[in-house]
Amino acid sequence: MTALGSRRGGFPGRRGGSRGGGPLGGEGRWALLFLAPTLVGLAVLSAGPVLATLAISLTKWDLLQAPQLVALANFVQLASDDRFLKALRNTAFYTVVSVPLGMLISLFLALALNQTIRGIAWIRTAYFLPVVTSTIAIALVWQWIYSPDSGLLNQFIGIFGIAPQKWLSNATLAMPAIVAMSVWQGLGTNIIIFLAGLQAIPTDLLDAASVDGAGRWARFRNVVLPLLTPSIFFTGILSLIGSFQVFDQVFVLSRPRPTEATITVVYFIYENGFKFFKMGYATAASWILFIIVAVLTAIYFRSQNRWVHYQ
Amino acid sequence: MLSDRTHRGATSLQRRVLALVGGAALVFSACGGSTTSPSGVSATASAAPPPSQAASSASPAPSDAGYTGPEATISYSIWGDPAEIKNQQAVVDAFHVVNPKITVKVTVSDWDTYWDKLQTGIAGGDAPDVFAMDGPLFPDYQSRDVLLDLKPYIDRSGYDLGQLADQAVADFTTPTGQFGLPRDLNVIALFYNKKMFDAASAPYPDETWDWAKLVQVAHKLTTDTNGDGKPDQWGFYTETSDMENYWSSLVWQNGGDILAPDGKSTVLGTDQAAGGIQFLQDLIWKEKVMPDPALFAEVGDAFEQGKAAMEANGSWLVATHQAAGIDLGIAPLPKGPAGQATSINPTGAVVYAKTKSPDAAWEFVKYLASPAAQTKLMELRASLPANKEVLAGPYASSFDGAKVLADALAYAHIKPSFKGYNDFATTLQTELDANVFNEPTETAKQAIDKVLPALNELLAGQ
Repeated sequence: MTALGSRRGGFPGRRGGSRGGGPLGGEGRWALLFLAPTLVGLAVLSAGPVLATLAISLTKWDLLQAPQLVALANFVQLASDDRFLKALRNTAFYTVVSVPLGMLISLFLALALNQTIRGIAWIRTAYFLPVVTSTIAIALVWQWIYSPDSGLLNQFIGIFGIAPQKWLSNATLAMPAIVAMSVWQGLGTNIIIFLAGLQAIPTDLLDAASVDGAGRWARFRNVVLPLLTPSIFFTGILSLIGSFQVFDQVFVLSRPRPTEATITVVYFIYENGFKFFKMGYATAASWILFIIVAVLTAIYFRSQNRWVHYQ
Repeated sequence: MLSDRTHRGATSLQRRVLALVGGAALVFSACGGSTTSPSGVSATASAAPPPSQAASSASPAPSDAGYTGPEATISYSIWGDPAEIKNQQAVVDAFHVVNPKITVKVTVSDWDTYWDKLQTGIAGGDAPDVFAMDGPLFPDYQSRDVLLDLKPYIDRSGYDLGQLADQAVADFTTPTGQFGLPRDLNVIALFYNKKMFDAASAPYPDETWDWAKLVQVAHKLTTDTNGDGKPDQWGFYTETSDMENYWSSLVWQNGGDILAPDGKSTVLGTDQAAGGIQFLQDLIWKEKVMPDPALFAEVGDAFEQGKAAMEANGSWLVATHQAAGIDLGIAPLPKGPAGQATSINPTGAVVYAKTKSPDAAWEFVKYLASPAAQTKLMELRASLPANKEVLAGPYASSFDGAKVLADALAYAHIKPSFKGYNDFATTLQTELDANVFNEPTETAKQAIDKVLPALNELLAGQ
């Protein structure tokens, strides 16, 4: 993730290009060439459909018959749709809890894993495994952990004399239970990014700090943490966007259907688009989600001047 | 939901995942198979063309003699588990033998993916020629003009609809035409574990049972075998998350109904309807003869696991229960205050309105409902055949209890089927699950009254 640092310095090819040619300009053209497959893919497969949904969101469309134009009616209706508002609230709760929690725990684990001990590669791999495991498989294991009858969690709290809980069907516990699983599942991605950030910190800076008499905490607070802010910024943006799109955890854990306590915005979109024959309504909801995510991302990006330090 | 077929015998996620994985594997094997089987079939066909084929090809007018059109390839989409898929592929293979000019390609998906793919396929103008249709969802598709009216084909070929179960045929009939033929149907009955009944010296359920008798015997079979103060064997189990599994039957048995006759409002608010749902809540929370649904939400069917002595549920579970090693008895549902009633739900085979080979598609749909295909389907013990001849004859004697299921059609109500069904069911069931069945925070009447305006608004708007 040192690439993040250099990104701030500007794209060298770009600068060369503005001078109108030269070896750096050639580099820029090569860069474009290598980027082309992705750019074309994005333009055709993402940008096109994204724009199409904007048009669809202004219609009443059941997917099977021709859409009818209804202007902003979908958006007006969403504003007073209880289920949508609940989905928004649940998604907000999920984001507010899971993003900071996930980042804190993975930062802590990354610090712990940033050691040169025997078998460290295996330990790091173990933390990354959930990331490459399918959510379905993970959800199966967590269903067993949360099982109200013989679940691991209920057996554990039973040791302390706490009565068994219905983790997934109780309205108060269901969303926190889903958050816990998601945080655990997402740790690996964050840890990898933090680890890369940690290993990019020059040891001479740390040595210099030690010579100046800085203890462990002081070194972490004044050297490690500031130099890690680009990584924190990056994982933050990934987690934020990802958490607003939470779907599969809810889809699998909340069988047979999410309750009012667990429905999320993306599930709401799926349900309306593919179950209720309301594709126009669903795309309107997805645009509201997009606007929320875009605004938060913009605010987050603007904030980086104040707390992100690039080397 | 999500899946209103989560009740289709696959409560446990494990099984659902197995089905998914198995389904995916079979998609590949089906694709591989279909590339080899047509060539094999056409080889035998060219070697020995059936005489009837040669004779009828002289007159191009369609007749019941068989398919006489040009060579055609049609696609057939179904949802299902690996056993069902294998079974349907066998039916298709048999179809190829009698109709060598038609090649049928089977594609399968799990329940949720099936509908997503179907809708996007239709939206993109590339839907399967023939596809499976769930009874309750039929109006949502038919009313949107994506299904082919089979009436002209039925009339031209002189096909007798009377050979198929009447309610099942009616589910695909509209005032303007016939938009599909039933392929199979499912009915709700009472399963019981003979070993558990014998151990408790309890009398086996029979057609004389009523609600009171059910509660009385269920109490006798609800026991705490390990002495931890909580029951670990229950007298009764059912699934609460869909009306089909049990509660719609209770509503009818109590003299209530789901929809008003014109279909524009719901009559669930009546005391009779609410009383039926109330009985189910009482089985869980008042009588405590049925486990809290949360206990088995993740681990699957309590009856299949030998933890409940009786289960009200669908005929699709027969093979599953037998495979689980349960000494299975099948009885009619216990009668309610207003008499006997149960629920049936047909699966139909429908044809895409824009198919390029409507004649070949009709030929295949007709074949799916034929005694040959229906006898094959029957071997699964997953559903009842829709063909009356097979239902009354081979099916009724095919296993112990099959006759009870076949006879239940006489007093069965069709599962409600209307435009906007998924929306209706989700609104209603979310409330019932949260506040009636999973937690008894409201009576059935209170819960229904709460969602009644939303349900009626939904129905009026369709």
